[in-house]
Amino acid sequence: MQNPFSAKQRAKLRAFFSKPANVILVVFCVLLCMLTLYPLIVLFLETITVHAGKEARAVKLTAGDFTLYSLERIFATAKNQYSKLTFYEPLFNTLAVAVTASLISIVFGGSVAWLITRTNLKFKKFISTVFVFPYIMPAWTLATWWQTFFKNVNAGAGTSNGIMAAVFGVNMPEWFVYGFFPISMVLGLHYAPFAYILIGGILRNMDANLEEAATILKTSRVRILWRITLPIVRPALLSTFLLVFASSMSAYSVPVFLGSPVRYYVLSTKMMSLINNYPGQGYIIAGVMIIFGVAILALNQYVTGSRKSYTTVTGKAAQISLINLRKANLPIAIGLTVLLVLVAVVPLLTFALESVIIKAGDYSLSNMTLDFWIGRNLTYLDQGDSTGILLSAKVIKALGFSLLLALTCSFFAGTCGVLVGYGVVKRRGSKLATIVNNLSFFPYLMPSLAFGAIYLALSTRVPFLHGFTVLALVGSVKYLPFASRSGINAMLQLSGEIEEAAVIVGVPWPKRMLRILFPIQKSSFLSGYLLPMVSCMRELSLFVLLVPTSNTLLTTMLMQYSEKGWAQFGNAINLLIIIVVLLVNGIVNKLTGASIDKGVGG
Amino acid sequence: MPEIILKNVTKRFDKFVAVDNLNLTIPSNSFITLLGPSGCGKTTTLRMIAGLETPTEGEIIIDGVTVFSSEKGINIPPNKRDVGFLFQNYALWPHMTVYQNIAFGLENLKWDKKRIRARVDELLAMLKIEEFEHRYPSELSGGQQQRVAIARTLAPNPKVLFMDEPLSNLDAKLRTEMRTELKRLHVDTDSTFVYVTHDQLEAMTLSTKVCLMEKGLLQQYAAPLDMYLRPANLFVADFMGSPTMNFLPAKTKKTGETSCELSFCGLTRTFTAGKPLASLPENVVLGIRPEFISIVSDSSIPASVYSTLPAGMETTVKLKLGGEIITSVVFGGIDFPVDSTVYLAFKGSDMLLYDAQSKKLIADGEIK
Repeated sequence: MQNPFSAKQRAKLRAFFSKPANVILVVFCVLLCMLTLYPLIVLFLETITVHAGKEARAVKLTAGDFTLYSLERIFATAKNQYSKLTFYEPLFNTLAVAVTASLISIVFGGSVAWLITRTNLKFKKFISTVFVFPYIMPAWTLATWWQTFFKNVNAGAGTSNGIMAAVFGVNMPEWFVYGFFPISMVLGLHYAPFAYILIGGILRNMDANLEEAATILKTSRVRILWRITLPIVRPALLSTFLLVFASSMSAYSVPVFLGSPVRYYVLSTKMMSLINNYPGQGYIIAGVMIIFGVAILALNQYVTGSRKSYTTVTGKAAQISLINLRKANLPIAIGLTVLLVLVAVVPLLTFALESVIIKAGDYSLSNMTLDFWIGRNLTYLDQGDSTGILLSAKVIKALGFSLLLALTCSFFAGTCGVLVGYGVVKRRGSKLATIVNNLSFFPYLMPSLAFGAIYLALSTRVPFLHGFTVLALVGSVKYLPFASRSGINAMLQLSGEIEEAAVIVGVPWPKRMLRILFPIQKSSFLSGYLLPMVSCMRELSLFVLLVPTSNTLLTTMLMQYSEKGWAQFGNAINLLIIIVVLLVNGIVNKLTGASIDKGVGG
Repeated sequence: MPEIILKNVTKRFDKFVAVDNLNLTIPSNSFITLLGPSGCGKTTTLRMIAGLETPTEGEIIIDGVTVFSSEKGINIPPNKRDVGFLFQNYALWPHMTVYQNIAFGLENLKWDKKRIRARVDELLAMLKIEEFEHRYPSELSGGQQQRVAIARTLAPNPKVLFMDEPLSNLDAKLRTEMRTELKRLHVDTDSTFVYVTHDQLEAMTLSTKVCLMEKGLLQQYAAPLDMYLRPANLFVADFMGSPTMNFLPAKTKKTGETSCELSFCGLTRTFTAGKPLASLPENVVLGIRPEFISIVSDSSIPASVYSTLPAGMETTVKLKLGGEIITSVVFGGIDFPVDSTVYLAFKGSDMLLYDAQSKKLIADGEIK
């Protein structure tokens, strides 16, 4: 047979593939194209394809045919204000919520970051520890708490009173309980720690001499803040704004709890309601969300990449003199502590309380029971299950499945992260490495719910993609950015000579990886494994479209219970998830120093 | 112009004592160097005088005004102390142009625009950075950044100028150049300079007086040449000068009021001190600067050459003498063959005797 390559080309190829880094990069380049770019194409095709069911009946075509029906319906149907109600209004709501949430998180998180790094605030240790809790906890924690706490018979389709109405006798108005205000507030509070981490990091690393130099030149505190500190952290502020904006935009669980009951829709919740009956339209909304997400995060790359380098040679600025808050100190500290207790501790207590009362709205001791936790064969529970959640076979199976999924995703994402890190750093600067680096970060840019939608579209075309396989695959790909970031960072810290010293004495590649590179950067690589695991445990939007039944995962089970109004079981499961997440994150943090709040965010 | 007085100044970080009971008077118009190895408390001292750090105890007086006193509870903030501070990393504001950086301090003083313009122009010219006026710090080289930082510090005409290792981020050639200019600047600005460095050569060449510290304790406070020729203890003797002084263990036997018999390196010689020897311990350390050991054509002290390091202008010769390795520096580039025999002479009256136990200077004199 004629060999298509000349001898010289063959030698070149052999030399190229003799380097493990090249093999890794080629494999991942192909694999990531298949897992991220190809699904995007599929998603696009789905938007112009007729789907069986209502859609086929509406267009009077057979499933699989080409159609512009969905596009027309979504973007340009004036009849019954269809496009306005299905797309433009939710889009506007989405943007309004995302902007407001970003501002809240920046102002709140940024102020706390400044207070912690630049003043002699009291209870610093407590505040900085507890402040990140809302971010570690699942996003819906605050939303479900808000609902449970403030709901009352006068707001929305309220059928029972929450603690605020029942115990304090205050019926909050509907705008306060559901819709724009609570969604923005809750998202803002949830992402405030993220802003705190980003801005605090910059403030902490910012050369304190810059502010001291201004002090010496007789600058007032206020002027230092406005003219020196803020301009220097401005890129971080902008970056925080964009990241929180992107995350809030794709948020699903918060608007579903706090918006849907009053028919206040954002893109994500609208997409969910469309995807079963009109998949084409659902996929279009997913596409719009992806375009927004990618555009915003690309803008962020541009902002952080192109700005004038503000990194300065770090001096011996370890000790900056802290601003004395004097009389304001105690009030601020106490106010913050109370607020933190309210958003980080009270929700957990509320869930605990709500999970033990028998009749909603009655908080007397005689109305309390532990049956929803440990009861057995009690028909009066009457919420799809007659056994308390800690003994229920259904719940235990879901917990097991959730854990199995988390472990699987973390194994694949983590291992790929190490390999990508190795390949990209070894061949740094080459085209192939840049492509793989960007591809491995690409899933981060995509909103979880939309990413789930893509894989839903994919699963209709690829036969073996269903059940556990598709969940594990989508989880591994979605969390790869966490792992590849840690992998790349870990490899960057290692000087090339460390591996070269082993190459010289003829140590084969697998042994070099396992015996030299991995042990040296153990904790970084491990965090690449563990961050996906923790994230996976609290993930809802990514999986909600793909689970075979809603009982499959703890998080989707919670959604189901909440939709059905099974309050006690719902609250108990909610508490269970939060405790598992905090526990796993705590253990991970103890073992490796990694924590959700130290990841790339999301 | 003003005088700075430190009285019993102590700074503790938790249990670690950074500066221990420091007493120091910095005369008007002087150029004082705070010198010492890293972690000796020199930067902390400077920051305390400037007000960027609060002392744990003590009193600091600038120009007759008590700016800090732990007893009286006085602590005047840095912006009210009328001082200038030059940071090691320059601390130029990255988001402001060179002009804005220099003008910023003047704006704080509510100068009018014209006056600011004139003053900045004056400084730009003085430091030869006129063409960079509109650039951002990231667009400047290290040396240019340094000049901008100096201009910014000098702009409001501070009476006292503090400098924290300002030259340590520059390359060797630029550093020499800037040294010359700083010394010139001291004369031109007519202000008091306090300068932190770990480089003894910088301290030697720049300052009117050197304050050498170790582990938070003042070791010696003297004019550079005095410190070089009469180091108060073995630490100072070792720290000042390069190549370092020769330290030879010796035994003494007193022979007169100012003289004693000294045995070292298998030699026995007479040591004649400049002042009467009060008490003389038996075990001493003889300190001789390398340049005071000359290589002569013939003498009663033969030594063998261990290695030679000719640097062109001078040559450092390592010699074996009675089991000890000693250093000699001779003028000119001479490559002595290894293991050849040369003859030594101790010249001058700057031979030093240190108490081997207390490590303090006992006497200076000559060896015959």
